[in-house]
Amino acid sequence: MALVPLSYNARSLFVRRSATLLTVFGIGATVAVLAGVLALQQGFERLFTSSGREHVVIFLRPGATNEGDSLFERERAEILMKSRPEIALDEQGRPLAAAERYLAVRRRKLDGGETNVPIRGIGPRSLAIHGELVEVVAGRPVEFGADEVMVGSALTTRMQNCRVGDVLLLNTTPFRVVGEFRSEGPFNSEIWGDSERIGEALERPLLNRVVAQIAPGTDLEKLADSLEGDKRVPAKVQTEKAFLEGQTQVLSGVLLFLGGFLALVMGSAAVLTGTNTMLAAISARSHEIGILLSMGFRPLPIFLAFLFEALLLGVLGGALGCLMALPLDGVRTGTTNFQTFTEVAFAFRITPDVLTTAVGFAILLGLLGGAWPAWRAARMKPTEALRRS
Amino acid sequence: MPWSLLLRHLLARPVRTALTFLSLVIAFFLVCFLKSVVGALGAGVEAASQSRLIVQSAVSLFVNLPVSYQSKIDGVVGVERTCKLQWFGGYYQDPANFFAQFAVDADRLLGVYPEIVLVEGSEAQFLRQRNACLIGEELADSFGWRVGDTVPIIGGLYTRVDGSPWTFLVAGIYRPSSANVDGRTLWFHYEYLEQSLENGAAEGPDGAGVYVLSLARGADVTRVMGDIDRLFENGPQRVQTTTESEFQRQFVSMLGSVPTLLGSIGGGVLFAILLATLNTMLMAGRERTRSMGILKALGYPSRAVFALLIGESLILCLLGGMGGVGVALATSEGMGSFFGGFGIPGYGIGLGTAAMGMGLALLVGLVAGIAPAIAASRMRVVDALGAEH
Repeated sequence: MALVPLSYNARSLFVRRSATLLTVFGIGATVAVLAGVLALQQGFERLFTSSGREHVVIFLRPGATNEGDSLFERERAEILMKSRPEIALDEQGRPLAAAERYLAVRRRKLDGGETNVPIRGIGPRSLAIHGELVEVVAGRPVEFGADEVMVGSALTTRMQNCRVGDVLLLNTTPFRVVGEFRSEGPFNSEIWGDSERIGEALERPLLNRVVAQIAPGTDLEKLADSLEGDKRVPAKVQTEKAFLEGQTQVLSGVLLFLGGFLALVMGSAAVLTGTNTMLAAISARSHEIGILLSMGFRPLPIFLAFLFEALLLGVLGGALGCLMALPLDGVRTGTTNFQTFTEVAFAFRITPDVLTTAVGFAILLGLLGGAWPAWRAARMKPTEALRRS
Repeated sequence: MPWSLLLRHLLARPVRTALTFLSLVIAFFLVCFLKSVVGALGAGVEAASQSRLIVQSAVSLFVNLPVSYQSKIDGVVGVERTCKLQWFGGYYQDPANFFAQFAVDADRLLGVYPEIVLVEGSEAQFLRQRNACLIGEELADSFGWRVGDTVPIIGGLYTRVDGSPWTFLVAGIYRPSSANVDGRTLWFHYEYLEQSLENGAAEGPDGAGVYVLSLARGADVTRVMGDIDRLFENGPQRVQTTTESEFQRQFVSMLGSVPTLLGSIGGGVLFAILLATLNTMLMAGRERTRSMGILKALGYPSRAVFALLIGESLILCLLGGMGGVGVALATSEGMGSFFGGFGIPGYGIGLGTAAMGMGLALLVGLVAGIAPAIAASRMRVVDALGAEH
């Protein structure tokens, strides 16, 4: 079975370039919107999941889904940290665990608006536990016992009073900003200070979570079971990775839903446009199709040829859409994670996954748009096709 | 003017016209939809009362104000009435059944919120029993609750020590008379919460999240706000008094770039549909070259040819616009309750949105029709008649 040369279709796209361009732009715009929404979701999710660790665990009050909802009395937190052999020890034999306070406080942005910034009151062991994720890039770490804070680098350029050397007012107590740290994860949008000082300034006697490194080989499920039934300190435990993933579910879900909805609706419009273009292309060339048929080409190769033409439209549209979305990569944006009510800063990420999804979607749009016109072309009678001008 | 020719042109290629019409319907539906979502996100701000103030902690959204503040605020000149408002954060059966519950001063609620209009039950019934509650009509509909029912709510922020759910007796069902009051809220007695905390039956934060105040007639808003803020300037907890609209705006500004994002998606949709319609009209224009030549040869002026082509584009786009706006209107109610379920009330296709949709349809019709119309009206009769399809 002889196939129609592919160059025939490629050239015909070139001959009808205005229609081709308009269709390609239409598919491209659809694909770019999809890629943009997906890139937003990827950036957000990656921020939270890239820094989650398996050997660090988070203890929360049973029933709490985020740090803000979880509360521990100091004595209970102490018992939890000291009584669990599963918690790893440092060189001096002290448990690598810290009780942390967490509160989203109002801060003014440099551009004037107000937003909620998480403040983390850290314990003496917090820096050892989080050290691998956090790098002090300016100034120095906070000293315990002093009214000092250090600030994540995502905040220094967005918030008022957040540069090293500034003074930041918490309720009625002034705190000095002594350092700036950088982290790949959500810590990058936080303010850190001594848990005791922060608790006093904000009048928060209770602690919010206990974080600890666990000894290698710990059976986490067993630990969770025994903690759940614990009379003195009931708690739920999960790895930091699982905890952070849990914090992204809602916003990630909303973004994926939005992307899917837009892809479906805009995609349908793009398929209709593609069908229109291919129908016009075929009706203008019925004479040529008649010639192909009389030369002995079977209907199937003709169907395939026009399907290929539609596929080509899809590929071009996909490539254009990716090109249009590409400048978004790395653009920083911020929104509130409504699971924690705090603002997180993150960047759009055009990942390979985003690109393959976008191009795959574009090809699908092209094929769906081209299938029916190509079928019509293949079913033409040579004599009738030749007669039409 | 051969107007019947215009109709015949539209029907000459029924498939193409139908496909273009459909994609226009989709596009204008999407534009109206996105516009309404952005509108719904800011709906509370627009409808907010100017004569109502909110006193909240200046430190954090999550810090409560002492109960002792209420009598001090009551004493400020210009304040008519104050009401505690405390977020309860519970859910019915499953965390996915999200809706707002607030503990309030039961005898003051309807005074500060005249927008809460009871359609069933009465205020007297609400005041009679301490575990009574008022619920919004939408909420009552979605769970099938009626006056006299006892509803179990699982506490998220406030847990009962014995692990049982809280129970509230439905004493009344209200319909909000304005968009700034949510139709899916449960209001109950602050005293019920307070006493459960005091007698040890429940655990959770004490104090009141915010105080809502109504102003006396003719009170100076700015002065009242300043007076209240100054009362607590030196602690123990600094406060921030804002108008209700400013209070609502802080939640909208938390969305960060989301409204902008939705707006640019709408722009992308419009761009894609413009290209698609332009494509259709260019194809139509090419096919009509010869018949336009005949028209001119018969003595019709150039402007008739121009009007015929642009008229075709306008009719197609206006029909598509009507279809899209129609679909948006038809789905308005369903979408409204869908978003209401996520705590975003106020989705609705207003007159403004519908007018915007039709205006954009007109614009797309003009832009898409003008190029082929100009080309055809300028064409010389000989060239047009000699043209091949």
